[in-house]
Amino acid sequence: MLLSPVVGIAILLCLKEEQRFLIRAVALVAAGISFALSIYTFAGYDKELGGIQFVEKYDWVQAFGISYFVGVEGMNAPLLLLTGIVIFTGVLTMWELQHRVKEYFIFQLALVTGVFGVFMSYDLFFFFLFYEIAVVPMYVLILVWGSTRRIYAAMKLTLYLMAGSGLIIPGILLLYSSSGLFTFDMLKLHGVPFSPWIQNIAFVLLFLGFGVLAAVWPFHTWSPVGHVAAPTAVSMLHAGVLMKLGSFAILRVAMYLCPLGFQYWAQFMALLAAIGIVYGVFVGLAQTDLKYVIGYSSVSHMGIVSLGLATGTVDGLNGAVFQMFAHGVMTALFFSAVGFIYDRTHTREIHELGGFSRIMPVASAFFITAALCGAGVPGMASFWAELLVLVAAVKVFPLRGLLAIAALVVGALFALRVVQTTFYNEPNPKFAHFEDVSPFLGLPRMILIGFLVFFGIFPQYMLGLIKTSIVPFIQGL
Amino acid sequence: MPALDPLFVLCAACVILPLLSFGGIMIFTWRRPFLSLAVSLTASTACLLIAWYIFWQRWGDPTPLVLNVDWLVSDLVRVPFGFLLDPVSQLMLVLVATISFLIQIYSIGYMWGDPGFGRYYADLSLFAMAMLGLVISSGLLQLFICWELVGLASYLLIGFWYEKFSASEAGKKAFVVTRFGDIFFFMGLALLVIFYGSLDIASINAAAVAQKMEPWLLTTCALLIFGGICGKSAQFPIHVWLPDAMEGPTPVSALLHSATMVAAGVYLLTRIFPFFAASAPAMTYVLAVASLTYVLSSTVGMVARDIKQVWAYSTISQLAMMAMGLAAAGLAHGTLFAGYFHLTTHAGFKALLFLCAGAFIHHFGTNSFFMMSKGGAKKLTIPMVTVTIGALALAGIFPFSGFFSKELILGNLWHLDNKLWVGIGLLGAFLTAYYTFRVIFVLLFPRPEGHPAWEKYYEPVAGGHGHGHGHEEEEAHGHGHGGHGGDFPGHAPEWAINLPLIVLAGVTIILGFLQGTLERFLLGESHPHEMNYLLLVLAVGLALAGIALAWWDWGRKGAAWEGFLSRVPALENFFVQKWYMDHFWRWFLNAVIYNLFSKTFTYNDRRVVDGGVDAVALGCIGSGRFLSFLQTALLQLNLLFMVLVLAGVGIYLLMGR
Amino acid sequence: MPAFNQLNTYLYLAVILFCLGLYGVLSRRNLIAVLISVELMLNAASINFMAFNRFLAPHPAVGQIAALFIMAVAAAEAAIALSIIVALYRKLKSINIEQANELRG
Repeated sequence: MLLSPVVGIAILLCLKEEQRFLIRAVALVAAGISFALSIYTFAGYDKELGGIQFVEKYDWVQAFGISYFVGVEGMNAPLLLLTGIVIFTGVLTMWELQHRVKEYFIFQLALVTGVFGVFMSYDLFFFFLFYEIAVVPMYVLILVWGSTRRIYAAMKLTLYLMAGSGLIIPGILLLYSSSGLFTFDMLKLHGVPFSPWIQNIAFVLLFLGFGVLAAVWPFHTWSPVGHVAAPTAVSMLHAGVLMKLGSFAILRVAMYLCPLGFQYWAQFMALLAAIGIVYGVFVGLAQTDLKYVIGYSSVSHMGIVSLGLATGTVDGLNGAVFQMFAHGVMTALFFSAVGFIYDRTHTREIHELGGFSRIMPVASAFFITAALCGAGVPGMASFWAELLVLVAAVKVFPLRGLLAIAALVVGALFALRVVQTTFYNEPNPKFAHFEDVSPFLGLPRMILIGFLVFFGIFPQYMLGLIKTSIVPFIQGL
Repeated sequence: MPALDPLFVLCAACVILPLLSFGGIMIFTWRRPFLSLAVSLTASTACLLIAWYIFWQRWGDPTPLVLNVDWLVSDLVRVPFGFLLDPVSQLMLVLVATISFLIQIYSIGYMWGDPGFGRYYADLSLFAMAMLGLVISSGLLQLFICWELVGLASYLLIGFWYEKFSASEAGKKAFVVTRFGDIFFFMGLALLVIFYGSLDIASINAAAVAQKMEPWLLTTCALLIFGGICGKSAQFPIHVWLPDAMEGPTPVSALLHSATMVAAGVYLLTRIFPFFAASAPAMTYVLAVASLTYVLSSTVGMVARDIKQVWAYSTISQLAMMAMGLAAAGLAHGTLFAGYFHLTTHAGFKALLFLCAGAFIHHFGTNSFFMMSKGGAKKLTIPMVTVTIGALALAGIFPFSGFFSKELILGNLWHLDNKLWVGIGLLGAFLTAYYTFRVIFVLLFPRPEGHPAWEKYYEPVAGGHGHGHGHEEEEAHGHGHGGHGGDFPGHAPEWAINLPLIVLAGVTIILGFLQGTLERFLLGESHPHEMNYLLLVLAVGLALAGIALAWWDWGRKGAAWEGFLSRVPALENFFVQKWYMDHFWRWFLNAVIYNLFSKTFTYNDRRVVDGGVDAVALGCIGSGRFLSFLQTALLQLNLLFMVLVLAGVGIYLLMGR
Repeated sequence: MPAFNQLNTYLYLAVILFCLGLYGVLSRRNLIAVLISVELMLNAASINFMAFNRFLAPHPAVGQIAALFIMAVAAAEAAIALSIIVALYRKLKSINIEQANELRG
């Protein structure tokens, strides 16, 4: 799975810019293979057996205890599936790209390699390495293929994330050096009983560092700006997958290695998360750029993930992982729908748009589906995730949980406001001549909707898988 | 796997078929109106047959049947997917299936030629699925899910003519306002899960009856869940969405906003009636809210000029009456029959009233019943006769169904110690009769040409008081006829509109006499009903007085078409402005949500959070600028400096030793 | 000849050489001259290595290796520096060090 994007990159490097179709085809095949493999690991994971499966482990630098150690378990399998879905649909979405096609797909595949690597690694060093691999191509992708204020956005995003990394490295090294084991293997480090103060410091460093990527309030401002500037598929990857890296890393590294630190900081985490949830919807309510709106809804939804993590209960963590998946697919759908409209109209100002349901009914249906999913309508995957998180949150942090529930109303208002101004009312005559989505371009969106609805109707299929690793995880805390 | 009861297979089919129909239409056939119609109608007919079959099969068997399969199992949260078949749910099942089937027939005629014909039927199917799922669900969480889906379907249907600003606005309002209620519902559920551990309806009811729950938990949860009921059943203060929801096509108003969807709230109250009844404070609160709503909506109904608005407010008032009946029964240790019976009869006659209104609107292209009267409404014989039957039932006149159920509710209220409640009930009955017959008399007895009344009632519909949407609706229709005429041969079939009217009118007449049978079916036994003649006379007398007053104001030859209220202009204005509730919410939304929170947070985001980050960045750039003055480009100067520093360090180290 | 057999003699020689080189680096305006001065400093370092090796080191070969290393580095450095100077000359038509001031802050 890790290999196929790499091979894809290698082949792309050999191709010429003129062979556009071939380039796209190679990128699509590479993405398709990872997609197929991610489905395979998701479906082929043996729930009865549990634990880490599909393990690959090679020693690399023995002196420092670095080894290449990847595997799949219940909590990352959904995220691998998510990445597979998003990259595959992302490549399809960018099919119409004309400018520097080759470089674009190379960077995109590089990004995905990093993402897959992070989700699968059980070695801290490789975890961090892949993390950086995933972050750096964003800069180029936004800078070269971006739109509104792209230089500012790319710079801001990269600096923000680098600042996050600046917190992560001391955290990792602190754990590494104080363990006395000279190993980066997370499973081994997990067994080390670190003293409470080390855990406290390491946890807050890691939490804030990864929290930047997870858009935890108040470190979220890079994300809407980044979304706005990035090209469609990059927004999809960025909001859909990259932000999940942060929250996944909090779960996998920070909480896993420093359980005491987690308990110490849980209240703080929940507070930030609850503020983020409420704050995101309210700010989003005042935005007029479609992508800003979605960006802030992401802030709010990622707040739900953090809130779920902060509860430290089986329900909360299940919900958090589920929400990572659901939100990833949902935002990807959001951005691909917006991207389609933007490509045609070259505006994302919601007051300028209007009546799109008349002009392009299918494209609008995609967006409306995503918006309803964002508003937490049952029958979509995110409903279950929010349900689990909120019930867990009310139990552990009653006040913050109730606050988050109350934010749901504003969330609904927020989603419907956008839908109403953009897609209902009288159509703007300026845009009346545009054609609707062709079946080919509709395909990636249909895939996304299919997954949303499938896991909305059969949540147990996903949740049973997540649970296999969450339950032992909680016992380990 | 245990052998499944065939009944449950049928239940599942009942939920799944409309869902498939929704999906099928949305994905494949939405461009082909007749295929969509066929798909949807097939599903709907199947549901109808199944519902009646279940009803017939289980007749006289009050033992509940429950079946659950795990849908989602987390740690604390377990969501079963299951069905609970007991008399309460079976009756509602039949009700919903029948009315939604009739509405689908009616809509063939009403929506004929609309460009969104396929989408319309898809939404109707979605609604049928959600509502049927709600009715037979065995757990509160599943009920909540279907509840939300019902809200979604209602959002889609209200905003069906999405090009109209008012329609999309109304859809949004409906969704958000009911969602506002739902969060309380959800909080209640969350508390129940956490402190009680189960959301199974039967188990909750049993625990409440056996007094196994902590009183505080019981009351809190009951109040929170009642918040959800308030939203869905349009009780004060979040009733404001229902009148606006009349923006949707009229069959939708009939289906969702009178007969079934809004009844879901009251249905929930019935469903967990033992649970509610165990908490006296909650019941008192319910009674108070319902009474307030009852008075409010009756008074507003007296001044509305749009026929759908009148029926909308009467719906709110009747829902309040059901809630009052249930609450009173809960306080006086009565049974749920009165409220539930009223729900049943109300579904029949209110659907009838709305469909008649739809027939008029379709014919005249306006929503104002004054304009209809001018256009000659009384010449449409079938709708006119049926609307009168419906109105008589709504006013509670013997022998129509409304009479029996209202009588029961008033009887329940009579049993309470505080006679205030029954007073409110009687006052409401009087007002209801008045405003209902205001409509009927206006329709029946138009003033002669040139009467001063016409001038007064001519204009306001177009702009005026904020509920004149008739013209726009007509436009949407006109557009439909022009734009898509090719697909629809000829005119709408007349029978499709008239058939449901006649069926419902028949139901309205018969249903009252089935009271004893239904009671036996629901409760397993029928109490010999002791007649309270004083109350009977009072109620019917007041209703007749209301009709008489309406006749005096609106019906008789020399009537000036001035309500008796116009003698108190302040009060009339207060009612016309709907008690200023809309203004209040609009203000709340604008001032608090948008301006206070949203603006502040955005400002904070731009200035403080983002500004802070940018300030750090600018600070870095600035300090870089400052330090760059050291970069003189004189290589040798730099080198000299370097050497001197190195020498200094060296000397220091050497001396230090 | 005891003076030639003492460590200090060589150290003084190296210091003088180093200071001459340093002075040249700091005072000459001609880049070639600066380069030559740098070479002088490197040679001073080499002399130090050899001297310490001769008088103090237990293993005779270590200092010589360092000296050889320095020569190799010096050769590489000279090549790079000369190419820089040529590039600079092409751009400025001069190899005066004070004219290369584009990086002034």
